Amino acid sequence: MNTGKKIKVLISVVGLDGHFTGAEIVSSFLMDVGMEVVYLGIYQTPEMIVNAAIEESVDVIGISSHASNYEQIGLILDLMKKNDLTDIPLICGGTIPKRDAEALLKRGVSKIFPPQSSSESIVDYIISCVKR
Amino acid sequence: MEARMKRQTDYGYEIKPVYTPEDIADIDYAKDIGDPGLYPYVRGYYPNGYRNRVWTRRMTAGLGSSKRTNEILKQYREMGQTQGILVICDRPNAMPIDADHPIGRREAGVLGWHGASLLEFEELMDGIPLTGQSITLLGSSAMSCMRLAYVVALAEKRGIDFTEVHGSVTEYPFCSTFGQTDHMPLDLLIKLWMDSSEFIVRNKIHMRCGILSQHFQESGGNNAQALAVEIAQLKELLGLLVNERGLHFDDLALLPYELVSIGSRFFEEIAKVRALRRMYAKMAKETFKAKNEKACQLLISIHTSGRTMTYQQPLNNIARCAIQTLAGAIAGCTAIDNACLDNAHAEPSAFAARMSLNTQHIVSDETGVTDVTDPLAGSYFVEYLTNRIESEAYKILQEIENQGGMTAAVKKGYIHNMMEESARKRQKEIESGERLVVGVNELVIPPEEDDDIPIQSVEASDSEKIAKRMEQWRKTRNIPLLKEKIEQVHADAKKGRNFNLMPSIIEAVKAYGTAGEIMGVIRMANGFHYDPLEMIECPFDL
Repeated sequence: MNTGKKIKVLISVVGLDGHFTGAEIVSSFLMDVGMEVVYLGIYQTPEMIVNAAIEESVDVIGISSHASNYEQIGLILDLMKKNDLTDIPLICGGTIPKRDAEALLKRGVSKIFPPQSSSESIVDYIISCVKR
Repeated sequence: MEARMKRQTDYGYEIKPVYTPEDIADIDYAKDIGDPGLYPYVRGYYPNGYRNRVWTRRMTAGLGSSKRTNEILKQYREMGQTQGILVICDRPNAMPIDADHPIGRREAGVLGWHGASLLEFEELMDGIPLTGQSITLLGSSAMSCMRLAYVVALAEKRGIDFTEVHGSVTEYPFCSTFGQTDHMPLDLLIKLWMDSSEFIVRNKIHMRCGILSQHFQESGGNNAQALAVEIAQLKELLGLLVNERGLHFDDLALLPYELVSIGSRFFEEIAKVRALRRMYAKMAKETFKAKNEKACQLLISIHTSGRTMTYQQPLNNIARCAIQTLAGAIAGCTAIDNACLDNAHAEPSAFAARMSLNTQHIVSDETGVTDVTDPLAGSYFVEYLTNRIESEAYKILQEIENQGGMTAAVKKGYIHNMMEESARKRQKEIESGERLVVGVNELVIPPEEDDDIPIQSVEASDSEKIAKRMEQWRKTRNIPLLKEKIEQVHADAKKGRNFNLMPSIIEAVKAYGTAGEIMGVIRMANGFHYDPLEMIECPFDL
């Protein structure tokens, strides 16, 4: 990367979901390419995630989800709107079925990475978001 | 592509192009392998293998309300699942918090069944027999005592002797480290685990306790690490029952069961299970001085690997599932449940569940795999791999022992780091093309051409319905009785690590105490907040 300032990404699992492996792997390869990662871990509520995004003034929020009720991600979007954070892209990864993925994209999620997405595709997307 | 492909086991052993008698020259058949039914049980526990009893072919259920999960179970029964049921609990229940908790209500019925009270269990089991098939409830370790109490309470209501129920409803305390998260401190989990285990053993209940390597492996661990972690867990936990609860190891014979994750590394997976039987048998004899042969036989179930199921071209997963099921069958096991073709998308749809059950029946009924016990024994390659993975696992086990055993290794983060490092390595191998995954880094098709499959889902409104029902039902209970029983749990929980809480938990469950309430007062008695998320206060005056 040739930008002077490091890209700062918040990575978190939302709600009571305990599947942390995806979030940890993504965090580790984002750090490998020189990004700064604020890793919140598991048991994070939408409120905790949005508050951390404000406090840490991150460039991108990344949510890992392995649950089957995606309303939690919707709640993050609502809170982002309320706090004027709509310029920060919210990206998601995990086992999100197509139909739910489409609904989330419509609602304001910038991008959804399905399981087995390559690290390159995620890194490239984050860089392109921040440049914009 | 093929030129770059790694010829290594998943734990890094470089595989040779051919294996010969020389590779297994140091094996003494009678001493190191033995016939099926003979120590050290590499070839299994039964001379007749599956001829006496084919493995239990079952599917995981659990989604939405108890009534909905009950309907799914009945549907599975119609699909031919008659040997046993397997139900997984939801996220709030894992914590455990109740459905009407401010956070619980967002996710009740998500990823499983909301087993927060005896009422939910009664609805789950409505019209389903408690005996004559195995009853398996998967969930967090913290909830083990509760699930066991549900079985005892419902058996009593139905006029059945609870010692006749068989299956498994309790789980090991380390699962909270491997993604099966609950919010209980590890030491309290270990205490509660000893309580439920001791209750099972002393009452001679035909219930197993899951002490599993599957969660560890599905969260990233490799085959050799999974073996090492499994033996380390068994050694630590069974040791506690012997040393702290004064139980004889020979009486623990029927307690543990292991769920092995079987991936697509066909020969390695088979070698892993064969080596596991030997490692356990040796530990039982050498470390615990077992005299009873049964106590040297670890019951092994198999879960075909969820993490190998791809999101891309999900129908390919049927092929993976079939290969893994065949490996599990050849390895020898007592039950198999499959990850479904839609595993990377959602909870199993009826279509996916039927495919998985049918796959198991194709393997058991059409291939001839049930005719002969341990058919790959004597293969130069498989016998070599069995020795190899065992010696790799012993090395890792030694490292865990050097940390002070499993509990210490978990607390120091050693196990977590091992798992994460291994997951990262696998991701890198796939990205570099050293490991090929069809549909992911080989034979890829555009997403718009991908297979269309039915999707099973839970809506936010379903969670809210479960929450509302609980809120209203709560008030209809016999409150004075409940209060008395909850106070007893609280008082008993203050009596120290080795005072068994099962009797008072069973009484509180019969009075329809909920998971949040019963586990909450146990937490309080141990100096923690009633609510693991510290959002609500204890409703009882204690």
